[in-house]
Amino acid sequence: MFKKILIANRGEIACRVIKTARKMGIATVAVYSEADRRALHVQLADEAVCIGPAPSKESYLAMDKIIAACKQTGAEAVHPGYGFLSENEEFARRLEEEGIVFIGPKHAAIAAMGDKIASKKLAMQAGVNTIPGYNEPIESAEEAVRIARDIGYPVMIKASAGGGGKGLRVAYDDAQCREGFESCRNEARNAFGDDRVFIEKFVEEPRHIEIQVFGDAWGNYVYLFERECSVQRRHQKVVEEAPSPFIDPDTRRAMGEQAVALARAVQYQSAGTVEFVVGKDKSFYFLEMNTRLQVEHPVTEMITGLDLVEWMIRIAAGEKLPLSQSELRIDGWAMECRINAEDPFRGFLPSTGRLVKFRPPAEVPGQVRVDTGVYEGGEISMYYDSMIAKLIVHGRDRLEAIERMQEALDAFVIRGIHSNIPFQAALMQHPRFREGRLTTGFIAEEFPHGFTPEMVPHEDPLMLRLILAAVEHKWRLRNARLSGQMNGRRYAPTPSYHVIDAHGSTPATVEALSDVRFVVRSGDRVLQIDFDPRWRLGEIVLQVRIGDAPMTVQLEREGILYVLRHHGAELRARVLPAHIAALWPLMPLKSPPDMSKFLLSPMPGLLREVAVAEGQEVKAGEKLAVIEAMKMENILRAEQDGKVKKIVAKPGASLAVDEVILEFE
Amino acid sequence: MQDIIRRLEEQRARARLGGGERRIAAQHAKGKLTARERIEVLLDEGSFEEWDMFKEHRCTDFGMEKEHIPGDGVVTGYGTINGRLVFVFSQDFTVFGGSLSEAHAEKICKIMDQAMKVGAPVIGLNDSGGARIQEGVASLGGYADVFQRNVLASGVIPQISMIMGPCAGGAVYSPAMTDFIFMVKDTSYMFVTGPDVVKTVTHEEVTAEELGGAITHTTRSGVADAAFENDIEALLQLRRFFDFLPLNNREKPPVRPTSDVAERMEPSLDTLVPDNPNQPYDIKELILKVVDEGDFFEVQPDYAKNIVVGFGRMEGRTVGFVANQPMVLAGCLDIKSSIKAARFVRFCDAFNIPIVTFVDVPGFLPGTAQEYGGIIKHGAKLLYAYAEATVPKITVITRKAYGGAYDVMASKHLRGDVNFAWPTAEIAVMGPKGAVEIIFRDEKNDPEKIAAREAEYREKFANPFVAARRGYIDDVIMPHATRKRICRSLAMLEDKKLENPWRKHGNIPL
Repeated sequence: MFKKILIANRGEIACRVIKTARKMGIATVAVYSEADRRALHVQLADEAVCIGPAPSKESYLAMDKIIAACKQTGAEAVHPGYGFLSENEEFARRLEEEGIVFIGPKHAAIAAMGDKIASKKLAMQAGVNTIPGYNEPIESAEEAVRIARDIGYPVMIKASAGGGGKGLRVAYDDAQCREGFESCRNEARNAFGDDRVFIEKFVEEPRHIEIQVFGDAWGNYVYLFERECSVQRRHQKVVEEAPSPFIDPDTRRAMGEQAVALARAVQYQSAGTVEFVVGKDKSFYFLEMNTRLQVEHPVTEMITGLDLVEWMIRIAAGEKLPLSQSELRIDGWAMECRINAEDPFRGFLPSTGRLVKFRPPAEVPGQVRVDTGVYEGGEISMYYDSMIAKLIVHGRDRLEAIERMQEALDAFVIRGIHSNIPFQAALMQHPRFREGRLTTGFIAEEFPHGFTPEMVPHEDPLMLRLILAAVEHKWRLRNARLSGQMNGRRYAPTPSYHVIDAHGSTPATVEALSDVRFVVRSGDRVLQIDFDPRWRLGEIVLQVRIGDAPMTVQLEREGILYVLRHHGAELRARVLPAHIAALWPLMPLKSPPDMSKFLLSPMPGLLREVAVAEGQEVKAGEKLAVIEAMKMENILRAEQDGKVKKIVAKPGASLAVDEVILEFE
Repeated sequence: MQDIIRRLEEQRARARLGGGERRIAAQHAKGKLTARERIEVLLDEGSFEEWDMFKEHRCTDFGMEKEHIPGDGVVTGYGTINGRLVFVFSQDFTVFGGSLSEAHAEKICKIMDQAMKVGAPVIGLNDSGGARIQEGVASLGGYADVFQRNVLASGVIPQISMIMGPCAGGAVYSPAMTDFIFMVKDTSYMFVTGPDVVKTVTHEEVTAEELGGAITHTTRSGVADAAFENDIEALLQLRRFFDFLPLNNREKPPVRPTSDVAERMEPSLDTLVPDNPNQPYDIKELILKVVDEGDFFEVQPDYAKNIVVGFGRMEGRTVGFVANQPMVLAGCLDIKSSIKAARFVRFCDAFNIPIVTFVDVPGFLPGTAQEYGGIIKHGAKLLYAYAEATVPKITVITRKAYGGAYDVMASKHLRGDVNFAWPTAEIAVMGPKGAVEIIFRDEKNDPEKIAAREAEYREKFANPFVAARRGYIDDVIMPHATRKRICRSLAMLEDKKLENPWRKHGNIPL
């Protein structure tokens, strides 16, 4: 076994690999860019080597520097994680030449599978189902259009070297095909240095189900069942689970055996994932094979009880697969939510900055797991991927897993930057999600106009209001213990309140049985609320028991306004003593200032382009400006027809969030 | 007897009705509460004890002899906020537009006098059209009687003004002499001369809101300390604010029980100061992570934002925080921020509130605007205030403490009790670049040499040790332990006694 390995990656996956290496008694070397000087993976590793400036190209993608770091530290093997150099044939080959073990497949297998056109041919030869498409690189937009017409719209335009949703476009007509081809090729050239692009039939209402496979140097192969990753936003996976709520044991076996056949065809030696698109009738077609550890591998670990990274290291060290197919079982249900630094209420635009608060839920072995590469006080930079954590849960069945996930999301506090936690919480309680009626179009279909807080109804809004009444009473009772009160006239707050929110006013009386036990009455409803005795006022996460049922909410107070969050729903309310609440209707309703005449930067980033000129008439949907942040180009479009009055920000400017870009008349 | 009781009830009913239902409706239509409703919201339920309900004006000119409303446009008395005594006057706009008559002023003076005797704060809820013109000079005399009491009470009992309607002309000077002025957005304004006079004299066209609204005074003039959305929010926030203050200058600030422990560590503070010395960070994060329960009441949050001042609690006890804000003007001291902080420091000192200062200051803001504006004199105010203060003073230097601004910001030399530095602290006469350009003037055309000198200077002074060796810094502390260290220091300083030499009063550079 290796004595020391280097992890050629950053973020949560680097931390996750370090954890397993440590468990196996292997020393670890982290590499980091200048932007990651204070990153968690650097702190966790036994040694760390700086390999260059922030841009990935000059650090995490710089093979020379990583190989030099191996030599400098005496690392015998390299785990590449996912992304970066994980599926780079040249990197694997060069390591092999240098006598350093690549913890992953042999370079030939990466080469065979890395090229999507070649891999499809190979799959066909290996007897794997494939979908119709054009398997040669396409030279021009016009050729792309011709081929697309042959196959029949809709088609999918993919970068040959792409992955993880990058360099991928869907076209429904000639115009989109042309535009998609060009942008796909540009993105591929910039991101992967390989601008080959191909086209295939786009299967509508598809599910994305993938099979985890493993092979060793001794010719043994197994599949570790499937993961369903149909819940995607713009081809980026959002929620993954195992097993799939859709396929039956026969389909599972058929898919598994085909996946193994493909692995066998390239003498695959490591962890790999064979992605399939699965139709309504459970017909399945090969999409691609990812020759690396997947982001979502923990769900497989949770249902099999195995450590896939450990397997990868053992296989790389020449060991045989620890288990055979007949020894593998599925236990219960696992689910993963990707926690991204993005603002779900602003079209999921990336959010960067300091993590003022980052408090993941407590990990419970076998039930709740948090994989992360960040920490409270850390910085989310614009240079890398927006995924900052993965929340993984396990339950006896799918419903238990979902409920556990809801609880864990409720306890997950992120402040300073925006996160997609409210959206994940909304998904968890979406009826279609709970029923498992998924397709890769699920999010686009269910949230066609984006996501707003109002979209998440709460199953019991009255309960939330009554919790607030109890919190307010608790707060006022404590305040009434202030020193210096008039002799014999200690203040006792009256226990009658009104909870006032956008839907009206709810009366509630609160009886304090102790410091932590409150009985709240409103009409016919009576709730006994027990506060977690360890909770102190001002803490965001509040755990209460409503009768016998535990419940976790997030609670903040801004002036006299409470914001309470639970299961993705948000209640903004004031709790006023009854005699004051009676006066509340007299208070004027104020609307926020009208900013519709301005185009504001929805995120911090670089203004790449202003696509309009002063005095120009624009139509709703027309492109106004392009902002680059977190490696992604974000196109800002006109929300309504109008005329540009003034362009305020110049291309090339670094914009803060809400900075004015241009003004309309 | 029965008859008298009936008459009493009638009079009370009349007084409670103020200017009558029509005027009350008009007040409500403006989104404003009546004088009595405001008191109900502000004070503990049922605690209000009203005085002078039957007091009336004595004016006999311009038909005033026929118009008498008991109370004469102001409701006065005392009550409690979370059980603690407070005197209140609340001007009633429904009665003669809340205008100030001789009798009206007498009512205010009466509660102020009593508040001074018993040592309790005075809160004024201002909503007045101005002087009772029919009374002429008697009304002006009334104002001056109030002003005189404001001055005598200053530094003895806390005085707070909540502007909830018009406050114009001479009337502004009573609030101006109180310790804090709060305003309600859109419904209150303060100015010495109104838009009409302004137009006649200077030909400026300006609305009352632009001239003296809550936004103007909390962002441009600095006259007001905070603005709130509406009457109820304003009064409930005033309750919250009141809980920080001692009742008078002989008392310590109140203690509010908390379950937040002194030992709470905040590891994230270890990364608050960025690697790059020119990159800003939000000093409020430090305050919010250090105070009890993250409960911080910021004073003047929208004015001179390069310095942050406000109240929080440590282990339940009120503390005044002053902090340079690197997010705005790099945290430089300028005229506005010096005045803002100086006034806050003096309030804390007057009322026995310990001061915690967080320092990240690259110096005073340069420029003609500042020099012509008198930064010398205004900067000196802050220096004076800190040097004069005898309350416990704890200072934490987080990053830059350069030049004269280092001295000013509660340095050891100004009788700082406990002066800490984070490991990222740089205590020096100036930044490395400027220093090297002066010391090695003849090398300035050789960029290589200059760079080397700069590195040398940085190495030598960009750390807390030079100052620590001289004892200017008592200890270098880890940022994550800041709360613990401050709490412990405050406990040590609990019985601090320090007195300045006797004098009639000092001569702060005004």
